[in-house]
Amino acid sequence: MIAALCLCLQLLALPYAPKEGATTIRDSLGRTVAVPERVRRVLSLQPEVTRIIVALGAGPSLVGRDDFLARFDHLFPLIHPAQAGLPVVSAADGFPKLEVVLRLDPDLIIASPSEAGLPDLLQKKTGKPVLAFSSMGRFEDLLREILWVGAALGRAERAGTLARFLREKLEAVRRRTEDIPAERRPAVYVSFWGSFTRSPVGYEPVAAAAGRNLADGLLPSRLGSVAVEVSLERILAWDPEILLLHGNYLPGERTVNVAGVLSDPRLRSVRAVKDCRVYYTFGFWHWWDPALALVETIMLAKLFHPERFQDVDVVREGNEVFRVFYGMEGGFDALRRKLEIPDGPWR
Amino acid sequence: MDKKNRKSRRVLGILIMALPVALFVLSLNVGSYSIPAGDMGKTLLSLVVPSLRQDVPQVHRDIVLHIRLPRLLLALAAGASLAVSGAALQALFRNPLVNEYILGLSSGSAFGAALSLVFLGRSFPPQPAAFVFAMVAVMAVLLIAGRPESGLVSLLLTGVIVSAFFSALLMLVEFFASPYALQSLFYWLMGNLALAGWRDLALALPLMAAGLTLLILLRWRMNVLSMSDEEARAAGADVRREKWLVILAATLVTAAATSVAGIIGWLGLIVPHLVRMAVGADNRIVIPLSAALGASFLLAADTVTRSLTSIEIPVGIFTSLIGIPIFLALLKKSKKVWL
Amino acid sequence: MSLQVRSLAYSNKNFTLRLDALEFAAGRLTGIVGPNGAGKTTLLKCLGVLLPLERKSVFLDGRDLAAMPAAHRARRLSYVPQEHVPTFSYTVRDFVLTGRAAHLGLFALPAARDAAAVEEALEFVGLRPFAGRPYVQLSSGERRLVLIARALAQDADVLLLDEPTTFLDPRHEVEVLGFIKRLTRERRITVLVTLHNLDMAVKYSDALVFLKEGRVHAAGPPEEVLSESLLEDVYDIPMRIVHCDGHKLIVR
Repeated sequence: MIAALCLCLQLLALPYAPKEGATTIRDSLGRTVAVPERVRRVLSLQPEVTRIIVALGAGPSLVGRDDFLARFDHLFPLIHPAQAGLPVVSAADGFPKLEVVLRLDPDLIIASPSEAGLPDLLQKKTGKPVLAFSSMGRFEDLLREILWVGAALGRAERAGTLARFLREKLEAVRRRTEDIPAERRPAVYVSFWGSFTRSPVGYEPVAAAAGRNLADGLLPSRLGSVAVEVSLERILAWDPEILLLHGNYLPGERTVNVAGVLSDPRLRSVRAVKDCRVYYTFGFWHWWDPALALVETIMLAKLFHPERFQDVDVVREGNEVFRVFYGMEGGFDALRRKLEIPDGPWR
Repeated sequence: MDKKNRKSRRVLGILIMALPVALFVLSLNVGSYSIPAGDMGKTLLSLVVPSLRQDVPQVHRDIVLHIRLPRLLLALAAGASLAVSGAALQALFRNPLVNEYILGLSSGSAFGAALSLVFLGRSFPPQPAAFVFAMVAVMAVLLIAGRPESGLVSLLLTGVIVSAFFSALLMLVEFFASPYALQSLFYWLMGNLALAGWRDLALALPLMAAGLTLLILLRWRMNVLSMSDEEARAAGADVRREKWLVILAATLVTAAATSVAGIIGWLGLIVPHLVRMAVGADNRIVIPLSAALGASFLLAADTVTRSLTSIEIPVGIFTSLIGIPIFLALLKKSKKVWL
Repeated sequence: MSLQVRSLAYSNKNFTLRLDALEFAAGRLTGIVGPNGAGKTTLLKCLGVLLPLERKSVFLDGRDLAAMPAAHRARRLSYVPQEHVPTFSYTVRDFVLTGRAAHLGLFALPAARDAAAVEEALEFVGLRPFAGRPYVQLSSGERRLVLIARALAQDADVLLLDEPTTFLDPRHEVEVLGFIKRLTRERRITVLVTLHNLDMAVKYSDALVFLKEGRVHAAGPPEEVLSESLLEDVYDIPMRIVHCDGHKLIVR
């Protein structure tokens, strides 16, 4: 699967060269939209893309932020402190307040493709070009997204640099683990989204780090989502070697935490609990943070195969990734302290 | 004809009473983690006899004691509670179309759960708040409508209004809730026995037991109260006090069941109907049999969902999918006189 | 067990009922008659305390009726409504059994003596063979008898019946009134009946009470009070009393 990923990465070429005047961009929904050549004011309603915009150095051109980023994102204030002054443009259901949007007068709007018909509706109502992007947890799509957003904002070169950096780091991990046979890849159960029995049906950082996500291949509980509710007995039958819990919550917000899992009488017989191999990982909601996803992959790789990554200092690597992406020093360390992710074999 | 009828009724009655026990034994052996039936006996014994503990794998004991037993007990208790509550309210309001949620209970419960999940944080269980607001909703309906002796229509209307009010409040809370809290709420609303552990049952089970006991003790009285208020009063019943008592008990058990298991529909409507079709309308028999059949019904539904797939499907979906066609069939059959 | 009205007043927005000093003799059948809207049913319901009754207005064997607790009162006085709208398909036996409510505590289940009272009541009205049948399968005449049986099972000394013969055919009418009369003769129960049918009232009652517009126009044994002028007064149309074969017939 990693091989396929890399193949796709090589095949990716920047499909659109910016011309004079407007650029035509194709978004995640397959819509072709004409984007003005110079984008000075951009409004992103998709947190993942907002982070990419900051990574591309176009942070100052943001004119607003969405509700999710404003209320629930712990990383964003760290990477873009100026965000506190940005008006909140959308409501809890994700739908933007149209009058505020018009008042802010962006040159470009980026929306989430998960709301049916929203991008078109928004475009019609505001008369502004609206692009819909999401990677939905796939590295391949994440890279493409970075390139497309870069093209739309006239930052193609910077986008290319970031994409290359991301690609190379992932490739480095892959090289160190590609010869590990399937049975030596640890069986991992991932618990996300506030309930121990809720698991993603596919999580690329786990696969990229040469682990086996046990919930892979199951049907999601709700159409269009990536989450599945598994029964406790199923988890016991799987008997995972490692348990990963959703760490992107503040400690006070966590329903599922390491202490709780280790002391739960129902999970006593699980290998991971007996060996105390229960850790936090970052995870995602609908939206990823590209830098964090990369660091997470490196972190998990070291966690799963410590003998192959002994020389890697994850905190140092993480800080470097954050420096390259967001131009900040000690960023990863700051985040992990904020989320109180304890030290462990992953370091 | 009379004799033969009575005999077949008695047989049916005994069968229904035995059903929960049989289903319990069956359900104990169902689950994603397969425990061979032979080992099950040993495992159960080891729970009671400490010296046998070495012979039985830890994981078997954990599954039986901490996963299956609480879940099965919850299914039995909640099923019995909802069915009896429905039967009692049907007798009280003299209308077999009444279900346990008519007095606004489900909306109050949902609102309480949402409030708790959003404001008290995700580590605090939503059960207590769900319970409290369920009671609040019913009390509101009773106080607004006047008295339990008020006509059914006025109580129903008040119930609809109070329900709508709490639904609106619920939507408001959902609006301000984080996506994380919303997900939990969604699963709770669908009716879910999956995460029931002993801690969740610690308060709910005794409440259900107490309320059920009260309702079972009052079962003959329900016959009297199911006559018109005038007739009941003429016969010497303190109509107002007795109706309050029944409604309180019914609300108690339904609120307790709903707070842990979420909203599971149709049990209180269908099970009493089926029981009356089988054994007649005398509440001395209908109430206990409703408890047994309701318990069996929910347990069976839960076991079926568990055995079909290792993915958790909310049991409320099943009771609706099965319940609605049965309800329609019943409606078609009994056109004139109700059962 | 005599029922004594000292002073009874009841009013709602449409209607006022007022009685001063009326006595219903023990062990007698009193027929309450009058035109529509005279307040017959209202009077009966007041006497049964199914409508609000003031203290010290009605006395049962010297005891204040309104001051009695409900169960206490129900053991002495029972009320039979005109009809019962069935919701659930109870058997006749279970139906009649509900009349025993006054003799049972809140959580008590009927015992042997309650079952015996039911059997006896059914025997009296001749419905013993119907005991196991659903109430809803009975004819309207038989249903009336079941209602009476229920009141009998209540074991009270005073029976109030509201229009027990309305909509019954002549044979059932006679049957029901015959049973009621037997109650006064054989068991010395005080019976008050509201009746539409004047002829029947005259024939069966030991005493008559004529109501009009909420007031008592006359009360007493038929031989004493019945007169053509009284009838015209109460019913506002000329009437004649005809004697035929020893019976009194009212002709309009």
